[in-house]
Amino acid sequence: MKWIRRKQNKYGTDKGFPLLLSMILVFCILGAVVLSVSWKISREMSTAAIQNLNESLDLIKCTIEAILKKEAEFQKLMAQEIAEREEPEEYVRSYRKNQTMVKIAFIRAGETEGISSTGEVFSEEGLDFSSGGVVDGLLISHSYLNYMGTWAYTIKCPVEKEGRNTGTLYVEYTYDSLDKSLPNGFYNKRALLYIMDAKTERFVLKPKGMGERSAGHLNLEDFYRANDIREEALRAEVEECVKNGKNIMFYHDIRGKRALNYMWTVNGGTIYLIGYVPIEAIQQEGKAVNQNILIVVAAMLIAFFLCCLLYYLNQRQQIKIRREREAERELHNKQLTEALQAAQMASNSKTTFLSNMSHDIRTPMNAVIGFTTLLAKDAENPDKVREYTKKIMASGQHLLSLINDILDVSKIESGKVVLNVEEFTLNDLVSSVDAIIRPMAGARSQEFHVEVTDVKHEYLIGDETRINQILINLLSNAVKYTPEGGNIWFRIIGLKQRSSQFEHIRIEVEDDGYGMTPEYLKTIFDAFTRAENSTTNKVQGTGLGMAITKNIVELMGGTIEVTSEVGKGSLFRVDLEFRIPEGQADKKFWEESGISRLLFVDADVREERNIRMLMDGMGIAVDTASCVEEAVHKMEEVNGTQRAYHMLMVEWDVPDMEGIRTVERIREALPEPAPILFITTYGADGMECLDGMEEALRMGYTGVLMKPFFLSALKEKITEMRTGEAGGKQEAETGEENSLEGLNFLAAEDNEINAEILSEILSMEGAKCEIAENGRLALERFMRAGEGEFDAILMDVQMPVMNGYDATRAIRALNREDAAKIPIIAMTANAFAEDEKEALNAGMNVHLAKPVDVELLKKVLRQYIR
Amino acid sequence: MESKSNRIAAAACLALMLFVSMAACGSGSHGLNLVETEEENNRIVNLYSPMEKMEPDAENVARSAMDKTVIMAEEKLGVTVGYITYTAENYQDKTYDDVALDRARNNMDDIYLLNPDVIQVLGGEGRLMDLSGLECAQNLRDVVKTANTVDGKLVAIPQEVVAYGLFVNKDMFDRYNLELPNTPEEFLECCRVFKENGIETPVGANRWWLENFVLAQAYADLYNGGNTEAEIAALNSGESKYSDYMRPGFEFLQEMIDCGYIDAEKAYVSEALEGEREDFLAQKTPIVMAYWGAANTETAYGKTDFEMLVIGFPSDRGQMPVMPLTGYGIGTHAEHAEDARDFLEVVLSDEALRVYTETNKVISPSKNVEVDCIPALKPLNDRIEENVYVLGANAGMKVEQWGNTCLIVRELLNGATVDECMAEFDRLQAESLADARE
Repeated sequence: MKWIRRKQNKYGTDKGFPLLLSMILVFCILGAVVLSVSWKISREMSTAAIQNLNESLDLIKCTIEAILKKEAEFQKLMAQEIAEREEPEEYVRSYRKNQTMVKIAFIRAGETEGISSTGEVFSEEGLDFSSGGVVDGLLISHSYLNYMGTWAYTIKCPVEKEGRNTGTLYVEYTYDSLDKSLPNGFYNKRALLYIMDAKTERFVLKPKGMGERSAGHLNLEDFYRANDIREEALRAEVEECVKNGKNIMFYHDIRGKRALNYMWTVNGGTIYLIGYVPIEAIQQEGKAVNQNILIVVAAMLIAFFLCCLLYYLNQRQQIKIRREREAERELHNKQLTEALQAAQMASNSKTTFLSNMSHDIRTPMNAVIGFTTLLAKDAENPDKVREYTKKIMASGQHLLSLINDILDVSKIESGKVVLNVEEFTLNDLVSSVDAIIRPMAGARSQEFHVEVTDVKHEYLIGDETRINQILINLLSNAVKYTPEGGNIWFRIIGLKQRSSQFEHIRIEVEDDGYGMTPEYLKTIFDAFTRAENSTTNKVQGTGLGMAITKNIVELMGGTIEVTSEVGKGSLFRVDLEFRIPEGQADKKFWEESGISRLLFVDADVREERNIRMLMDGMGIAVDTASCVEEAVHKMEEVNGTQRAYHMLMVEWDVPDMEGIRTVERIREALPEPAPILFITTYGADGMECLDGMEEALRMGYTGVLMKPFFLSALKEKITEMRTGEAGGKQEAETGEENSLEGLNFLAAEDNEINAEILSEILSMEGAKCEIAENGRLALERFMRAGEGEFDAILMDVQMPVMNGYDATRAIRALNREDAAKIPIIAMTANAFAEDEKEALNAGMNVHLAKPVDVELLKKVLRQYIR
Repeated sequence: MESKSNRIAAAACLALMLFVSMAACGSGSHGLNLVETEEENNRIVNLYSPMEKMEPDAENVARSAMDKTVIMAEEKLGVTVGYITYTAENYQDKTYDDVALDRARNNMDDIYLLNPDVIQVLGGEGRLMDLSGLECAQNLRDVVKTANTVDGKLVAIPQEVVAYGLFVNKDMFDRYNLELPNTPEEFLECCRVFKENGIETPVGANRWWLENFVLAQAYADLYNGGNTEAEIAALNSGESKYSDYMRPGFEFLQEMIDCGYIDAEKAYVSEALEGEREDFLAQKTPIVMAYWGAANTETAYGKTDFEMLVIGFPSDRGQMPVMPLTGYGIGTHAEHAEDARDFLEVVLSDEALRVYTETNKVISPSKNVEVDCIPALKPLNDRIEENVYVLGANAGMKVEQWGNTCLIVRELLNGATVDECMAEFDRLQAESLADARE
């Protein structure tokens, strides 16, 4: 991909320059072609224009020559006429001039003077025929300024009569008359034309409409001067041509404009047409063509550039779109890669998980099967049977927990976890956790410390089971990952309340165990991960505990964090908020108990603060003493007064506690029935090792409170102390009440093994059980049964033909009295809360998850059958 | 947004190109006859006027000024003016005036730009139309009317009042600590000093304008003495002799010739400006004579490398401008007489004269048009403003002055004595008296 991009970039930059060069080259070639075409057109047009000019000049020349010839011919006719006359002079005198022939004269042969039409004596003097110019065979004079002040020429014609020369007829013509026969300008009147007398080089006529009128030139020299024609070689060439009666045409600038100058011989070189025409006038058509070519080229260029622009804009748009697509594709690829990685990771995790599961499931299964084999073999040996069944049970429990964890993860991941929020006490929570963890820790010779500080309310609302699950997960891990002889701290810390309605609690679980690597810390809350591979580690676990924990914490709106260092231990910190229940019934209890003053003996100030905080709301005044001596002193001081203490709580570990003697002294200071409670960190199992404790407890109104201190525990203890005897009887009765002796059950169970197990368990309890293989059979059996025949129905859910829900609904719908009353207990492997809810909705009384907990089953049955 | 505007711009460009292309495709609607006939303008007025020999690219202010007014007339009247011109190639050729006379006598043209003597001759022959009826004539200065009225007819009207003066190189005068001369004596003294200082010919001259010296001295008193009409009457009646007026001037010229202050031979064959201009511009000659407009015209003395001043000709009454009034005349039998009159109405109107005067920086014949002159002309202008001048020609005098004096001065240049020249004047006066008697 990068390579492609690099290549594209390379193309984008490196290819741009050659492309530009190519375009420039194409334009240069185009420009050169256009220029050459333009030049070619100019040249051709120029050649054509010169040709055209030649023709125009030839036309003018021919016109003038024709006029001269006609003049000469007419003059010959006149000469013939005169020759016929007796008095030629009379003919001359009678002549009236016209615009062409302004004067005629006649000189008789042999004479030098004659007569003219203007009346005066005429002689040839002043007329120059020396150049030898002829028109139609008649001599023509040089040009001269005549009596009218205009340029003229004279043609002389011999007058002959009968072959004899009788005289000469002279006729004077003006150049002005030629003007009328010439075109009214050419080349759009931009060409200039003079008629020049070749001999004198005088300009004798500027035809009207021929060129600029301000250029009134006198003669050829004046023409040169006015037009700045100073090149000697050129002038010599012109002179030569004029001398020889040749035409000449040459380029020369006239008043800053390039012009074509011409000198055109007329009548054999007696007169010349002289003038110039600006090149731009000659090449007017060429210029127009070139201009049009340029316009076309410009239009094409504009069109080309527009196309380029459009192409560029389009390309830019395309590139933009392509980039966006690429970016999108890259994003998709990235997402796909991430997804793939995640999938691969998930796959790997699951592979690992499956591997672990395989191992973890096979291990206890191996134990179950192995011990079952051993059990079959050693069935006669009761000790071994007990040992094997105990181990089979342990393996089964482990398998069950494994399955529960997997189900939890499955539920959490599918978002099906529903918190079961109800009131609970921290005391119960801590007690239950303590009851589980302390033996585990004890088994590994670990110290288990429980601390509760700054908690204002111990009655809270929340999902106790899930909180319990969190704590068990964290603490069992701590136990697992802490070597023998290590320490585990379990702390519940009351944080500053964010709202008066919520108790903000921090739970800390700390150990000084193996600790975790930073890498592992990053994935500790991911599912299917374990600190070390279980195949190489003796620590057993599903690798799901922390993931479940984190998910539950977050489900409760809390946070969980962990710090750990390899070899030093770990610290898990869970922050949770629990709603505080509205009514606190404890205050009434204390009022009724008659306890309003309490003395607390402990050297630990924190414990003091805890107790004060908890008792504060109950209307009980708490006094403290740091040692027994001080306490005794205080009690003696107030004895017999209203300020006498109603109860004493003493830390067993205070320095001056010296066994039973100290207790007796205390009792002396605080007479019965005021309760004396010893607070200890040791559980019931550990109290044996406390010196004097047993004797102390034998005394009346004494008891033990386990740390941490909870008000509810205190309340329970006091209640227990006051109703000590009755309590013992009740427990015995409860044991008897749970007996299923003599009861008859209908069980719907499609699985033969399960049915057998159930039958056996119930028969062991003295009950009878009839098995129906599916819901319909159960329904039919119930329908056939007499009223009260069955004490309860144990209903599996997933069964062929008719499932447990439908069967229950059908039973409840039966029109018989016991149909609505008979307890129907769901016994199913569908262990989720939703399953329980559906079971209850179907009309079942209670939901029990498989595998069957016999005690729980007995308890539930007794409860509903009663 | 950007893309949209680009598209609009591209579309606009294409539309423009399409429009241009379509416009180019369009053509005038021709009938079956493909000949494009141009409406010919047949109203032509032929004007005979002088044309100076021209240098390439040189600007002739006088000509430009005239052209402007001609164009005004053409545009206003819709006529075309045909220029007819003639310039003598050399002294042996017919002069412009000769040709003017010939052409006017043969009705060759409609309008003629004429020198004073020709005005007088043609006016006397009745070949010029009376222009007093023109509207523009009402605005003319009296001096113009006086000079160009022949037999009670106003036969010519000029576009400028031509005043002749001496063009002096002030730098050279200063170099030799010379004051500008007022009297003939002072002038001769200046020439002497220049001559002594190696100036070969202190006065550059041609065959046309030396007469100004004569006229200035001859008529300084006549025109500025307060008795002009009586003196002219005396001359016309023969009581006074022209030769008596002319003699001092001719004797003055004779002395100049004798002292070598003027190259008579060269002057005799030189056309106007031709003989003396080059030397004056090259500062070889400190004094020349010319007309007012020459000071503005590049082809004359409009561009000098030194400080030039134009002063009057020396006379007993001080520096004296000589004003030979020229003018446009219309031939009595002009082919296009009506158009010619209309043409003059336009080119001699105050509007046209203002254009002419501003372009050429000359004195206008119209009393309504005043234009500041260039600094070089100030001395001459001051005298004219003071009404101190001599008319070069006066149609009231029976003997034409401007042309005849010129011709007689040429004779002096050609070697005639002063007495012979005076005799010629006497002959001319006698002829005029005889004509008057007939």
